Amino acid sequence: MGRLVLNSVSRKFNNFQALLNVNFEVADGEFVCLLGPSGCGKTTVLRLAAGLVAPDEGSICLDDKKINGVNKECGFVFQEYALFPWRTVKENIEFGPQVKGMTKTECESISKHYIDLVGLSGFENHYPKELSGGMKQRVGIARAYANNPKLLLMDEPFGALDAQTRNLMQGELLRIWETEHISVLFVTHSVDEAVYLADKVVVMSARPGKVKEIFDIKLTRPRIRTSMEANIIRDSVLKSLVTEIKMAANK
Amino acid sequence: MKNLMKILFVVIIAIFVAGCLENKKTPEVSMPINLVKMSGQEMIQRLGTGEIAGFIMWEPYPAIAVTKEDGKYLVLSGKIWKDHPCCVVAYDDDWYKKTNNSDEILKRMALSQLKSVEYINNAKQSDSPDHDQLINYTMQFGQMTDPVAANLSLADVEFVYNTNVAGTTTFIQRIQDFGIFDPNKWNLSGYKNASDYANSLVTNNYVDWAVNNKDENVSKIALKEPVNIRYAYLVNDIHELPFYIGWQKGYYRDLGINIVIAEGAPFQNGAFEMQQGFKANTVDVGSLGIPPVIIHRINSNDFSNDDTRVGVIAGMNNEGSVIVVANNITSLKDLQGKTVGFPGPGTIQHVLFLMEADKEGLKVSY
Amino acid sequence: MKFETGKRGLLINILSLIVFTIVWQILVILARNDIFNIPFIRLRDIPTPVETWYALVGSMFTRIYGPSFTYGIINHVYASLQRVIQGGIIAFIIGVPVGIGVGYSKFLGNLFNPIIEIVRNMPPMAWIPLSIFIFVSGGSIFIVFIGVVFPIILNTIQGVKSTDSRLIDAAKTLGASESMIVKKVVIPSAFPSIITGLRIGIGVGWMAIVAAEMVIRSPVGLGYFIWNMGDLGRYSEMVAGMVVIGVIGYIMNISILLLQRRFINWVD
Repeated sequence: MGRLVLNSVSRKFNNFQALLNVNFEVADGEFVCLLGPSGCGKTTVLRLAAGLVAPDEGSICLDDKKINGVNKECGFVFQEYALFPWRTVKENIEFGPQVKGMTKTECESISKHYIDLVGLSGFENHYPKELSGGMKQRVGIARAYANNPKLLLMDEPFGALDAQTRNLMQGELLRIWETEHISVLFVTHSVDEAVYLADKVVVMSARPGKVKEIFDIKLTRPRIRTSMEANIIRDSVLKSLVTEIKMAANK
Repeated sequence: MKNLMKILFVVIIAIFVAGCLENKKTPEVSMPINLVKMSGQEMIQRLGTGEIAGFIMWEPYPAIAVTKEDGKYLVLSGKIWKDHPCCVVAYDDDWYKKTNNSDEILKRMALSQLKSVEYINNAKQSDSPDHDQLINYTMQFGQMTDPVAANLSLADVEFVYNTNVAGTTTFIQRIQDFGIFDPNKWNLSGYKNASDYANSLVTNNYVDWAVNNKDENVSKIALKEPVNIRYAYLVNDIHELPFYIGWQKGYYRDLGINIVIAEGAPFQNGAFEMQQGFKANTVDVGSLGIPPVIIHRINSNDFSNDDTRVGVIAGMNNEGSVIVVANNITSLKDLQGKTVGFPGPGTIQHVLFLMEADKEGLKVSY
Repeated sequence: MKFETGKRGLLINILSLIVFTIVWQILVILARNDIFNIPFIRLRDIPTPVETWYALVGSMFTRIYGPSFTYGIINHVYASLQRVIQGGIIAFIIGVPVGIGVGYSKFLGNLFNPIIEIVRNMPPMAWIPLSIFIFVSGGSIFIVFIGVVFPIILNTIQGVKSTDSRLIDAAKTLGASESMIVKKVVIPSAFPSIITGLRIGIGVGWMAIVAAEMVIRSPVGLGYFIWNMGDLGRYSEMVAGMVVIGVIGYIMNISILLLQRRFINWVD
C-alpha cells in the first residue's frame, strides 16, 4: 500500500532536461525526503508521482500500477498552501469528499475528524485569509489526508514558515503521520529537516536531475535534533549535497 | 458569498418583476396622453407603422400623412382656436440696437411680407394664373413631391401680415397657466401680466407703414445701400411660405435687402431658433412660432444683458396645424395612455394640444 | 484608485463637496454681477446651486397645471432604473457564460475574441440609430445591454484566466474532473472579477441609457427629462436632473462595492 517506484524516469521541458534516468523507491509506509539544489527537478518528481505530468522515458508506478493521468490515490500538499480562499477550513477539507460524491453527513464527519487530528478544532468556519501560515498548512495537510490517499506528496510544505513554526510543524507532521500511517514523499531544501523527518533521504544532483546518493536514516523516533548520531548523519548528507549546490550555482 | 447571491438575486428579481408588471398595466381612465418629441418625418413614418397613435404638427406633414392614408385629420388647429396666431416675424433686439437704419429695414421686411401674403392669397384660387407657380413653390419649400398634398397643406393655413396683440396675450396667459415659465425668470422680467408682456413684445408700426406704402414704386422706396440680413426659419414649415416667396420672387432684394440664411437655419423648431439663433446673435430677423418666442424670451434669457430679447413686427400665418390620428381613433379621449408625436415642448403645437385637451378635461404629459 | 477610508477621509470628502458647491455659487453670482467672467462661456446662464436645489425639490413629484401633466423626477428615475436593471440582468445572464467559455477554452477564445474585441470598441451610443430602427419600442433595454455586457465579459475572462493554477492542480489531485474544476474552482475564483465587471458595466449602462433616452420615444426617463427641460429653457431643472443622474450612478456603484466588500470577504 503506497509503494512508489520510479524506474529510469526522464523528463524534458521545452529546451532543458529536468530529470535524467531517475531511480528510487518509496516503500510501503516509508517517509522519504527528496533533497537537492534549486532547479534539480524535485518538484517535477512530485508532479510525476501525482500524475500532473507524464515521464518521457521510464515508468512510475504506485503499487505496481502505472500512473496514468491524475493520480487520485495521492494527496498533495503545496508550499503556498493552495487553499481555496472562498471556502472555510471545513469546506476546504470537504472538497475531496464532495468531489467523490459523498453525502453531507459523510463529508462532515470526515472533515471533523481531520480538523481534530491536525489540531484546528474551533477554526472550522474561518477563512484561509484569517489563518497564520502554520495553520494554513495544517489545513493543507488535513485536506490531503481527507481524500484517503495511499501516498502523501509534500512540496517544501514548511518553506514559507518562520523557523520556530517550521520546527513546530515538523513535529506536528510526525505526530499526524504516526497516527495515520501512509507513505510520504517530502521535498525539501533543508538537510536538518530531512534528517529529522525521513526514514530515507534521496539526494539529487544538479540539473539534469539524477539520484546522487541515498541515505538510510536509522535513528529511532522520537528523534533528537542535536544528538550525536543525528549530527554525523547530517554531516554526511550535507557533504553530498554541497557539491551539488556548488555545481548548480555555477551553471 | 452565498448570502450576497441571495440578497442580490431577490432585490433584482423584485425590481425586474415590478418593471414587467408595469409594462402590462392596462391604461386607466386617468392616464395622460403622452406627447413625445420627434421630427416631422418620424411622425409620418411612425404613424404608418402604428408605433404612435397620432401627432400634432405644422403643415405639410399632416397633409403628407393623410395622402399616404396612414391617418386622418382629427382636429384642425383653427377648430381649437379660430384665427389663432401662429408664426410671426421677429427681429433680434441686439441687432436692432447696433444697426443704424434698423427701423427702415424692418419697414421693408414688413412690406415684403405683405406682398408675399397678397400673392399667395390670390394664387391660392385654382383658377388663378399664378396657381401652378404657387404650387411649385409650395412643393419646393415643403420638399413635397405630390401636388395633391401641396394643395391640401395650403388649404388650412391662413397667411397674414398683421400682428395680433390679443392673440399673443391669450397665449401668454395659457402658457402661464400651464406652468411653463420659469418662475424666477418671470419675476426678473418685470412684466406685470400677460397683457403687459404682449404689448411690450409686439408692434404693428412697421406693418402700418407697409400698408401705406404698398403701392409706391419699388425703386423709389428701396434702401439706398443694400444690407445683408441673416434670416432664420423653420425646416419644412409651410407656414413660412411667404418668406420663401419673398425670397424667391425677389421682393426683399428689390427693396435693398439681401437675405443671407443664418447659421444653423433652417431650425428643427422654434426653441432651437430662439436659443441657438437669437440668443447666440447669429440671427438678425427670423420667423418662428409665437409661443417659442414668448417662452424663451423669458426662460432662456440672460436678464443682465437681455440677449434673448426680440420684437415681433409682423404676422406670418394663422392656424395651419393639425392633430392627425390613426384611422381607428375617433376622439381625443381615445389617445389616453397612448403616444402622440409633437415637435417639442413649448412649441405652438404643444400649447394648442394642451388647450384642446383642457376642453375635454384630459391630461397631457410631455 | 484608492480612497482614504475612515472618518478623516469621509470628512474630507464631504468638505470638498461643500467647497465645490460654494465655489460654483460664487462664480455664477460674480458673473451675473459683471465682476468676473470666463471668455466663451455663458457663466451667467448657468443655474446656481440654490436654484438647482429649488428646481430639484419643485420637480421631484408629478405636477399638474390644468391639462398639463408633468412627470416628476421620481417617475423618471424609476423608468431609467427599470431599463438599467432589466438590461443588466440580460447582460449578466449572457455575459458571464460567454466570459467563462472564452476565458477557459482556448478554442472558444480564438473563435470569439476577434468579434468581441471589435464590437466592444463600439460605444453604446453608436448603436442607438440601429436600435431605434430594429426594435419597435426603441430598444432602450438593448442599449443598456450593449453597455453592460462587455465589461462583464472582459472582466469575467480576466477572472477566469487569472485563476491560480495551483488551485487547479490542488483540485485535480483531490480528484476533480474538468467540469467540476470549472464549477468549483474556476468560477468561484473568478467571482470577484465578475462582480467588478457587473459594477463597471452597470455604470456604463446607466450613462448609455440616459443618452439613449434623449432619442427614444418614451415620455419618461432621466435623459428625456433633461432634454425636455433644455428645450423649454428650464435650465435649473435640467441641471437638477444631471445631478440626480450623477448621484444615482454613484449610489449604484457604491452599493455594489459595499456588497462586494461585505460578502466577498475572502479576498486579501
